[in-house]
This record gives sequence, C-alpha cells and structure tokens, in this order.
Amino acid sequence: MKIKLPKFSLWMAWVGGLAVLLVAGVAAGVMVLWKGLSLTHLTDMIPWGLWITIDLSSIAMSAGAFSLCAVVYLLNLKRYQPVARTATFIGLIGYTMAVLTLLLDIGRPDRFWHSLIFWNKHSLLWEVTMCVTLYLGVLALEALPIFASFGWLRSHWPKLADRMSRIHHFAPYLAIAGLALSMLHQSSLGALYGVLKARPLWYRPDISVLFIVSAIAGGMSLTVLASMLSVRLTKHANVDNNILDRVAQIIGWVLVVYLYFRFWDALSMTYTYEPGRTEGLAQLTAGNLSFNFWIGEMLLGAVVPIILLLNKRTRSLPLWRMLALALVVGGVVAYRWDTNISGLLITLSYLPGEPAVAYSGAYFPSIIEILTGAGIISYGLLSFSLGVRYLKVVDHNSTKVHIADSKVIGAVPVTGD
Amino acid sequence: MTQKKITRRDFIKLTAVGATVLAGSQVIRRAQALETAESGGRQWVMVIDQSKCTGCGYCTLACRAHNDVPPDISWNVVTKTGTVGAQDVFIARPCMQCAHAPCVEVCPVRASTYRPDGIVKMDYDRCIGCRYCEIACPYGARSFNWKYFDGPNPSVPEWGQPEIERRPRGVVEKCSFCFQRIDRGLSLGLTPGIDEDATPACSVVCPVGARLFGDLNDPDSNVSKLLKGRTSYRLREDLGTSPRVYYLSATEEPQS
Repeated sequence: MKIKLPKFSLWMAWVGGLAVLLVAGVAAGVMVLWKGLSLTHLTDMIPWGLWITIDLSSIAMSAGAFSLCAVVYLLNLKRYQPVARTATFIGLIGYTMAVLTLLLDIGRPDRFWHSLIFWNKHSLLWEVTMCVTLYLGVLALEALPIFASFGWLRSHWPKLADRMSRIHHFAPYLAIAGLALSMLHQSSLGALYGVLKARPLWYRPDISVLFIVSAIAGGMSLTVLASMLSVRLTKHANVDNNILDRVAQIIGWVLVVYLYFRFWDALSMTYTYEPGRTEGLAQLTAGNLSFNFWIGEMLLGAVVPIILLLNKRTRSLPLWRMLALALVVGGVVAYRWDTNISGLLITLSYLPGEPAVAYSGAYFPSIIEILTGAGIISYGLLSFSLGVRYLKVVDHNSTKVHIADSKVIGAVPVTGD
Repeated sequence: MTQKKITRRDFIKLTAVGATVLAGSQVIRRAQALETAESGGRQWVMVIDQSKCTGCGYCTLACRAHNDVPPDISWNVVTKTGTVGAQDVFIARPCMQCAHAPCVEVCPVRASTYRPDGIVKMDYDRCIGCRYCEIACPYGARSFNWKYFDGPNPSVPEWGQPEIERRPRGVVEKCSFCFQRIDRGLSLGLTPGIDEDATPACSVVCPVGARLFGDLNDPDSNVSKLLKGRTSYRLREDLGTSPRVYYLSATEEPQS
C-alpha cells in the first residue's frame, strides 16, 4: 500500500483514460471492418458524416507544420524553430489520424492503395490522396530528428540516432515540398466540395481559399495551445513565452484575413437566387445549423479570438490566450462540420415540375461512429503526450542549444583559417 | 560544405525522376485516347415516352432480376410527377450515362469510365467505396452497398435471370444500360434496340413500349427517328452533363 500510492499520478490517470478510449475505438473499428458501414448512420442521401469531419479537421489542425516550417526555413525566421518542431510532430499525428479515419470511411479499406495506382488526374480526391500520402512521407522525414532525440535510441543505437538527426540539414528542401503539397491539398479539400455542380451551396471557388486560411489559423492555434498546456501540466516541457505570444498574434491576423474572405463569400451568396444555394445558406444563418454558424463559427470561432489575440493585454495573459486558441480550434472544426453537412442536407431535385429543392432528412452519428472517432482522437492525444514526455517535442531550450551548436560548427572553418 | 552540393544534386535528381513519371503518365494517357477512338461509331441512347408510361414499375423489377440488384437499391426509379388531363404522369430514371459525367470526373481511382459507345461503366473490382460519385451525381443514380446482399433475389426468377455478378459490400453501383446484353447481342450479330436479347431489360419488359433504345449515330434507328419527329427534353440540361436519356413529354392524347 505504502509503495503503490505514490505511483499513482495524474499522468497515469491521463494515459490510462486515453488508453481505455483507444481500446474502445479499436474494438469499434474492428466491428466496422467486420460488419461494414451499415453500422453507421450514413445513408445514400448523407454519405459523409462525422468521420469526414474528423478527417478534414485533423488535416486542418496539422497545417501548423507546413506554415511554421515555411516561416522558419523559407522566411529564415529561425527563432520560431522550436514551435515548428512541435507543429511538425502534431502534423505527423494529425495526418496519421486522417489516414486512419479515411480507412474506416471507405467501403473497401483493402483497396486503399488503388488511388496510388489508378490515377484520375481530374479527381480532386485523387489529388488529395496523393498529396496526403506524399506529405505524410515529408512529415515522417521532418520528424526523424525528433525521434532521434529519444533517450533510449540514443543510448542503444547512437549511430542510427545520429543519422536520423542529420535529416535536419534537408529541412529547407522538406519545407519547400511541404509547402507545395499543403498549398495543394489543404485548399483542394475545400475545392473537393467546391467543384460539385450538383450542389449549388458548395459550387463556388471561395471554399478552397477559406479552407486553407482557416487551416493555417487552426493548425497554428493547436500547436501553441498544446505547447502552453504541456508546460502547465508537465515538467518535461518548457517554452519561450515571447515566441508563443508572437505566433498567437499572427494567428489573430490570419483570422482577420479568414473572416474577411468569409464575409464576402457569404454576402455574395445572398444576392442571386440560386436554387439550393439560398436554401443552404438559410439553413446556416437561420435554420438548424444557425447556432453552429453564428455562435460556433463566427462569434466564438472568429470574432472573440480575434479580439483576445490582437489585444496585447489579453494575449499576454496565458489563460485568455489559451481560451482564444481553443476557440479557434473549435471554430475550425465547426466550420468543417457545417460545410460538409449543409451541402448534403440540401439536394436539388432532377424531376421537372417539382420543387427544385429537396431536404435529405437529418444525420446524427451512430454510437460506433462516435466510439471510433473518440478512439482516433485519443490516439492523437496519447501520441502527443508521449511525445512531450519522451521526445521533448515541447522544448524551447534544447533547440536553442541546437541552433547555437550549429553556429559553433559553422564557425569552425573560420577559426581554421 | 560538401553536404550542400550533394543535396543540390539530389534535388535535381528528384526533379528528373518526377519529370519522368509525369511524362510517362502522359504517354499512357495518349495510348488510352487512341483506344477510345475505335468507338465503332455507335452512341447508345434511351428514349422514355412519358405519354405512354403507366408507372407499372416492371422496368425496375426486370432490372433487379437481370442485374441482380438488391431489393433496397433501384438502378431505375419510377416517380409520379403530376397529371396531364385525367392521366397520371410518371418519370422513370435510369442512369443518364452523361457525356460529361460528374461521377467520372470525381472518381479518385477511375472506377467509373466512359465506354467508346458512351456508356458510363463501373469497375466494381476497382471501386474503393469513397462515395464521392454519389455526392457528385445530380440525378441520385448511384447507390452504395451498405451491407452485403446475400440470400435469394426476390425478383428472380419471375422477372428474369441474373446476367452479371452480384456486387460486393462497400462499393457504389448504378445502371449500366445492360451493356452485358448489348455486347453479347452485338457479338451474335443482333441489333440492340430491335432484337430483345441485345436490348436493356427495362426496355424489353415495358408492356406499353415506353422505353426505346438504339444508336443515335444511326439516322435510321427508331430512337433517331423518334427524336427527330417529336420534341424531347433531358433532365437538368442546365448542368451541361449531356445525358443520354431523352424524355418525350406526356400529352393529353397519346402519340405514336
């Protein structure tokens, strides 16, 4: 008794709780693979639901990786490197989450590789699949130096760890590849909806721009939020508050850009009566999605965080800053959910002489969908927690030393002269 | 310093590899384009005469039997749309076999393709079940196999015998203009639209002859003549999908 009690810690409760959710999610996932998608509440009218939202959201939440890596290695703002390191790790987790969700969501997971072999270059979904696959490779390479810092690896396989950390020299090239691939698929995840002429609410070019801008805001927000939470919850993390403050301010401005585009996008939709589009927009602004839209996406997802993050006083208070970042994350998830479901709930009738607009009924995810979703999210949280503890992914000191080291190495030939 | 040189060289190498892959895919694409050039000159279309259709639904049942379609899926949906005079008006909706098909455009694996004769063909061994085509189709012509269809087909044998393989769970399926019947019929020297064994099952079973089938490229085919003689319309023409299913409007007096 005396020995056991101190062993129980908050850390163990956290990991234990996540592990339970993970096991439940795996069990539900096995059920889906075994029994098929009839276990979901998806129908031919609403074929995409919760899983697609998780998929879109986890890719959006990973956008911190490409944007911050571009800032560090292409704009050469080296002081953001420790944040980019955290973002890269989150990106790797996010993309694996997306791939796992997609595997469940397609009817034939055994054929997932078909899109890599049978190219349809006209299909945005093909383009997204290729980009996600390639970018997962880029992220894995970018994350190799992070895994190289694992203590056990360093002591047992020092040469391997050394080689892995040397990938760091390719960082600028990887950043270019990551930027190109992300510019493509982060926006084409929106264009995926935007090119469907059969669905007038989606059929507009702005949706792709909105997706990438909101992803940049959401991805950077999650990175900073996760860093700040790690510092408060463990002693394995440390941050440079000035850097995080600066990134939080950038997020505020990105949100302003997002809200600006979003405003003109929504306003332009109100001016012409386009059957299906007007009804879809009405569903968002006055119908059953209006709470999500006005409160979730607009007020809490954009306006409040803009105020909190651009106001120096609130931004410098950790609690307010964390609240604002959490709201941004929630707002981006709400945007993804609303985009998907609003377009699916409204269909256009093909029948002549019938009312143009038809409603597809309602959708609420089944318990199996929720359990697998929770499992995938807990996999993400668990991976990040282990990363903070064993790979020091939130450590603004060690990378500083690393930068200092490379400067010393760079200085050696000079002294040799 | 030496390391930088290697990275640059590697970068160029990678670019070269990428360019080769792209060029290769273009060559393959060109080869495919050549293939489609041998179309045989036929363009299959269906003409549905609403002035004759009584809404009996035999077409749907024959389709279910000949294509082994599960009872909860319809490749061909018949809906009552209103009345003209004292008569009810129905509309039968198979797959439109669009010339510019959104489903073909969006499929990430090229599981939906255009046949040289214009039919939009599904490859059920390739489909990954992402359901993007279902969302993209303006006509609701596609259905997903949410569960495996096992057990006997209630439409068999009363309405016909299955001619194609049952689809597995997890793929999208749709009307094919019964191309298995067309292909087999042509190989036997029959004419689709005239000989029953070479004509889609829905057209053959129709008791009032409201569904006609034939080659639009043949000026003497019954469909060409009919479309020349009467005013026809297609569904959602505003979308620019160019459907291959034409409708003749219901009129007060049935026309021949």
